[in-house]
Amino acid sequence: MKKTINIPLGSQHISLLEPVRFKFECENEKIISVDSDVGFVHRGIERACTTKFKFDAIGYVVARVCGLCAITHSLSYTAAVEKLLGGEITKKAKYLRILLLELDRIHSHMLCLSHTCENAGFEAMFMRIMGDRELVMEIQELLTGNRVQFDYINIGGVNRDINSEVAKKIIENLYEVKQRVLGYMDEFTNNWSLSLKFKGIGALSLDDAYSFNAIGPLARASGLNIDVRNEIDYLPFNEIGFKMQTQFEGDINARNIVRLNEIFNSILMCENIVNGLPEGEIFTKLKGKPNGEAIVRFEAPRGELMYYVKGNGSAMLERVRIKTPTFACIPAFTHIFVGENYADAPAILASFDPCLSCTAK
Amino acid sequence: MKKIKVSLESVREEIESFYDYKKWHFLTLNGLALADNRMEVQWIFSKYEALDEVVVYYAEIEYTDIIPSIADMIPSAIISQREIVDMFGVKVDGSEKGLYLDEDSIQRPLSGCAI
Repeated sequence: MKKTINIPLGSQHISLLEPVRFKFECENEKIISVDSDVGFVHRGIERACTTKFKFDAIGYVVARVCGLCAITHSLSYTAAVEKLLGGEITKKAKYLRILLLELDRIHSHMLCLSHTCENAGFEAMFMRIMGDRELVMEIQELLTGNRVQFDYINIGGVNRDINSEVAKKIIENLYEVKQRVLGYMDEFTNNWSLSLKFKGIGALSLDDAYSFNAIGPLARASGLNIDVRNEIDYLPFNEIGFKMQTQFEGDINARNIVRLNEIFNSILMCENIVNGLPEGEIFTKLKGKPNGEAIVRFEAPRGELMYYVKGNGSAMLERVRIKTPTFACIPAFTHIFVGENYADAPAILASFDPCLSCTAK
Repeated sequence: MKKIKVSLESVREEIESFYDYKKWHFLTLNGLALADNRMEVQWIFSKYEALDEVVVYYAEIEYTDIIPSIADMIPSAIISQREIVDMFGVKVDGSEKGLYLDEDSIQRPLSGCAI
């Protein structure tokens, strides 16, 4: 008879920033089954959105779902309400929304890459990336007034315009970030601790990516062409140089390379926006109250984020449903762990870039 | 968004005949409280690489009805099935309570009759 042991990872663990618990059943070092518990920080935000706040305040409430992808949350909710109200926002507001969205993606991916380094025991690289990430946080603060949880997007446009000094600083900082990320690419491609060590570890096949409805960098690293920026036209991603980034190996290394390539693409998009920002207003007044139902999706740093909004013509909404990327990927995560060595579990988990704040909302 | 009404009895059959896992992507299971102790359950799908093509299968049910599971066809559905059990206090075949809520939490908070 084979003997198995159960090893918990979390809910508090040195490799995790947020509370999640995986219970691994192991046979020697090999993981043979996994159970997950993700509900440690449920805050009842969906209920609050329909009982405590009027529809025009909810964009600021949902920005608190997550500190890392706050802009995607407020953007998704706002776009859903704008769909119900009708009317078009200005092109300049659309471009500024994309600018923030892509800056969010850059710093979020940098955070994930730094954690990957930390899990590989490469503390110096972790500190280096976290330090460089400040260049992006600095731009976000200049643009929005906040480093995180920006209340930048409102129904009808954005809250702040951009001036020539801020535009210059964005270009300067993004140039610096690009140089630093070129250095990371070298490390993640050639340094044993960050490349070879992670090849073949925590792999998800293309067929499994389809079966488990994987999304975001996790899916694209397995060769699945899914990126919401390619599937929506609320914002003009195709005008500013968006290009989907995919790899085919599906392992930790492939996920890192996808994120690095996405940082380069996001930098290019941000530069194109700042250099070609249309003239015009940043806000259009949209009248009325939401009536009917709308589904809106955006590509958050971790993958597809979906908002379902139902209004009845009053200031209070009937339903706000938030489907976050990490939540949708939990079944894929547990599948990937099976067959791997327990010693690799923290690094695999970091490569998922999980966001439990989003998941438990 | 295209909405297709189904019954609980036929929903598995409808989804099985529609769902090609390489063409369609399961987004989530959603619930919506209705009047008279009823709710709407929605199975939401989007098409890969298509411009905003979203299909919603929905059924109007009573809170005492048992929702059939689709997790054998779509493994990723298991997590949103567990969520709807907690949030609306309904039963879904094979999905247990306790994803988000503890025993002493407010129960079925999104059902319109939270306790």
